[in-house]
Parts: sequence; C-alpha cells; structure tokens
Amino acid sequence: MSAVIEARNLSRWYGNVLGISEITLDIEPGITALLGPNGAGKSTFMKIITGQLKANIGQVRIFGQPVWNNRHIFRRLGFCPESDAFYEELNGLEFLTGLLSLYGYDRKECLDRANRALELVELKDVSRRPIRSYSRGMRQRIKIAQTIAHDPEILILDEPLSGLDPLGKRRIIRLIKEFRDAGKTVVVSSHVLPEVEALTSEIILIHNGKILARGDIHFIRELLDSHPHMIRVKSPQYRELARLLAAEEYVLNITFEPEASAVVFETHHRDRFFNRLNELVLDPGLDLEEITSPDDNLQAVFDYLVGR
Amino acid sequence: MAEVREKGYHHWEGQLQDKGRMFWPITRTGIKLAFQRKRFKFLFAVSFMPAITFAVGVYISERLEDFKFMAQGAERTLQVNPGFFRTYLSLDFIFFMILLLMALGGAGLIADDFRHKAIQLYFARPLTRLDYLLGKAGVVMFFVGLLTLVPALILFLLKLLFSGSFKFFLDYPWLPLSIIIYSAFLMVFFTCYVLLASSVSKNRNYVIALIFAVYYLSEIARGIFYVIFRSPYSILLSIPGNLQQVAAAVFQVKPALAVPWYLSFLVLSAFCLLSFFFLRRKLRGVEVIR
Repeated sequence: MSAVIEARNLSRWYGNVLGISEITLDIEPGITALLGPNGAGKSTFMKIITGQLKANIGQVRIFGQPVWNNRHIFRRLGFCPESDAFYEELNGLEFLTGLLSLYGYDRKECLDRANRALELVELKDVSRRPIRSYSRGMRQRIKIAQTIAHDPEILILDEPLSGLDPLGKRRIIRLIKEFRDAGKTVVVSSHVLPEVEALTSEIILIHNGKILARGDIHFIRELLDSHPHMIRVKSPQYRELARLLAAEEYVLNITFEPEASAVVFETHHRDRFFNRLNELVLDPGLDLEEITSPDDNLQAVFDYLVGR
Repeated sequence: MAEVREKGYHHWEGQLQDKGRMFWPITRTGIKLAFQRKRFKFLFAVSFMPAITFAVGVYISERLEDFKFMAQGAERTLQVNPGFFRTYLSLDFIFFMILLLMALGGAGLIADDFRHKAIQLYFARPLTRLDYLLGKAGVVMFFVGLLTLVPALILFLLKLLFSGSFKFFLDYPWLPLSIIIYSAFLMVFFTCYVLLASSVSKNRNYVIALIFAVYYLSEIARGIFYVIFRSPYSILLSIPGNLQQVAAAVFQVKPALAVPWYLSFLVLSAFCLLSFFFLRRKLRGVEVIR
C-alpha cells in the first residue's frame, strides 16, 4: 500500500525549544495513532501536516504533493483540534456551514453537507441550539463533524477522546473506525494509552520530539528483548506452579500475589515458557484460571522505551 | 484513491468559489455575528442620526426662504459645499460611533479567534493568512463604509435632487471623488486600528478598552504637548487631529492648524503599515507549544 503522508527529516524549533526532530515516516490508509506524553511533539507534527506550521528542516508530502501553502491539499484534509475552537454564539449548523463556505461550496451545498455531517455524528436534533449549550461530548462530536463535513480523504484528529465519558468515547471510537472502514486515512493523537489501544494497533511512539518506535504494539513489545516479559498466571495451585517453573533457567523472577491466588513470572523466552506451561497443565494436571501479560500493553511498552 | 471514493465519498460536481473571494465567508460571518448583538443593532441605528440631520440640513439649504424663521443666523452653517461634507466625515460623533460600533462588533474579530483557538480551524482549510486578514478587514470596512461613504454619497445625491439641477456637481466635479477617497482612507485606517487592537489580546473587554484608550489618549497627549511646546505640530500625536487634517486637504478647505497635511497623512499611513506587518507577524506566530 502506498503512503498517503510522507514526512522526511522533519524538524521544528520554537526558538530554543525543540518541537520535533528528524522525523521521517510514511503513513498509509487506516488508523495510525501518534502516542506520547504532553509536549512530546504530537501536536507540532499534526500542525505541520495540516499546513499550519512550516518545518524548519525537512518536508512533508500528502498524496505526493508538498503541504505548505498548498490549498489543493487542504481540501482533501480534515483537522480536528484538541482544544474547543468554536464561536459559542453560533448554533451547530451555522458553525458547520460557515466553515464549509471556506472551501468555496455554494450555500445549498454547505447546508447539505453540514446536515449530513451532523447526522453522522448524531447531532442533527440539536443543530439549531447554540454551541455554548452543548455538553462536552457534543462539542467533541461537532468538532469531528467539521472535520468530516467536506469529505476529506485524510482525517487528523488531535486527542479526539479527551474529556469524554465512557459512552461518548465508545461513540467516537466507533465513528473513527467507520472512517477507517470507508477507506480514509486517520491519524489520531493521544496520550491516553488504553484509548489508543481501543482504536488501533498501528502506533507511532513520540517522545521529546523524536519517534521512539513504530508499528504494531505487540510487535514492538517483542523487540524489547532487554526487558523480560511478564506473565501472570492465576491458579488455585499457584505455589506449586511457581515451584515447578522456578527450576527453568529462562524464568528470571517470580512474584507472588497471594490475595489473588496468582503468580507473576518474568522471562526472556515467552515461547519456551508457554510450552512448559502447557506441559504442566497436561501432565501434573494443574488448574489454570487465567493467563495474562501485564506488560504486553501500550503503557508498559511506552515506559520501557522512555526508560521509566 | 478511486476505490476509496467508491466507498461513500460524496462527489461535488459544482463550481467551487474562485480563489479571489475566499475571504468573503469570514466577512459575512463577522457582519452576521455583529448584528446578533442587541446593543449593536440599537447603536447602529443611532449612528445614522448625524446623516439624517445633515440630510435635513441639505433640504433646508435649498429651501432657505421657507425656513427663514428657523435658519436665521445659520445660513453659513447650512451652506452645502465641500466643507459641509468635510464636516460630516470628520465629525467627532461619527468617529465616536465608529469606535463604539467597532468596540461591540469588531473587538472580537481576531481576539475571539485567539481565545477560542479558532485560528487553527481557518488555517487547516484552503485559506491563506491574507484571506483571513481580508475577511476580518471586510467586517470593519463594511461598517465604517456604511457610516461614512454611503451617507456622504447619499447626501451629495440629495443635494442634486433637492436643487433640481447639476449646478452643484458642475461647481465641484471632484467632490464625489473626494468623498470616496477620504471615506476609503477612513475605512483603511479604522480597519488597521481595530484589527491591531483585536490582535493584541484574547480578552475582548481589554480590546474594547484599548480601542477607546489609544484614540482618546492620543488627543490628551496632543493637548499636553501643545501646552508644553506651544507647537501646532503636536496635532501629529492625535488620531482625530490627523484625520481632520487629512480631511481638510482632501476636501480642499483650510485646515484647523497650519501643519502640512501630508505629515498627518504620513503618520496615519505609517500606523496602517506597521499594523499590517504586526498582524501578519502575529498570525504567523500562532503556534502552540504543548
């Protein structure tokens, strides 16, 4: 699949403060998540690919064309900023039609598109209410509506789930996945790891303006050989299980959780560990209630990569 | 991307607005938002009082005989000539109403965008910074034009209408051009003035205070300098003073002070130029570090 967004050696400073440094990456259709703490450079990267900032060094191309001052590209791109960016006095419909008119559509087309977008984000019923009366979830959805109203091929969503209640999050996640299914390229930024995990497994980890890692979260975890894998096993015979596995040289550490009847193993060789575990289940007939990998998630990977 | 479009993209077969008019939706929204304020509508109506009064003056000037009992001793004031139009276009009340209307409808033009962080929504669209500025400028120009250019031209037409001849036009063929030039100058100056103030802060109230403070403090500064130095050149410090000097030159009447008009013109033009560069720089600096 060919890259929709190509960034080459992107660097950007704010005076002496580094925004991003030497970022080179290709983004393909589907959902890609930019993950990093506040100040990591996610927003700077997003501002550069949406043409609001010019990189000091390097270039970003979308559909093979440079982004900076390229009006043609902006018609194919939708940006949802993190912060609320509304005229509170306007109602939802006026807000959308006003922004749509900046693309050069005539009045009727603006209205049609605004109504379609409002329907998609389930805000049609409140489209005549002033934005100042909207709840946090509705505000987030109207921001997404302005992102999609002109049918862009690329959606850039800066922290689209921030401040939403669980129901609101589920709604937005479903919406974003629908965009992916429609063939759009979606770039989502977040500093909340479980949110990103719920959206996509294709992640870009950014920290201090640099890309730390890129790819499938589980694949990245596999690459981190310097850190042992943690495997938590819950079993009524957890002490017996620990005794049997303690003899294996690839088991580096064992931690008991007596209150949960569980034991946590640390190993460098997950495959060998699981083979042996299978044998133990079959042979002495140990009962296992649950097997989980506490560090096979984004938080753990991120902590490892930034050296926490 | 052909297969992507087949998955539900909405095709647009119509004609997109041409590049040159991209600023217009911003202007339209700004005007609409201004009229959504109740106080603004009232003040907007009040601001036409001088125009109505002057229109009555034009009528009376053509019927002096009929209004002799009223116009006794005021014949000179009721004389419609270039000075009459200069008076209307440099009336303190007109300037005050422009400031008042712009405080209500113009203070938030850029300040609100900064406050609501709406700038990023504009610049993620096919819009340049110049389009944005032109869009905002259009709002101020619209209102200043409605208070200056439109009534002044109507007054001119009324004069022709009430006199029933083209004599007035033949006497002063350059007058319509003077009205247009001076009104355009006022539009440009107040646009730069209001947009500059609006870009200084995110707080609309602060901008409103600034709009009035700078204008009237400049007049106070002129007074102080005049008291100290006794020089007519102190008028160069005053915004209304400079506007009146330029008006006198454009309408070919004697200025209030013996200071070359082009100095006032240069001061105001330099202010506009600096405002433009400041605004461009300010908008280029819309970069948030998180």
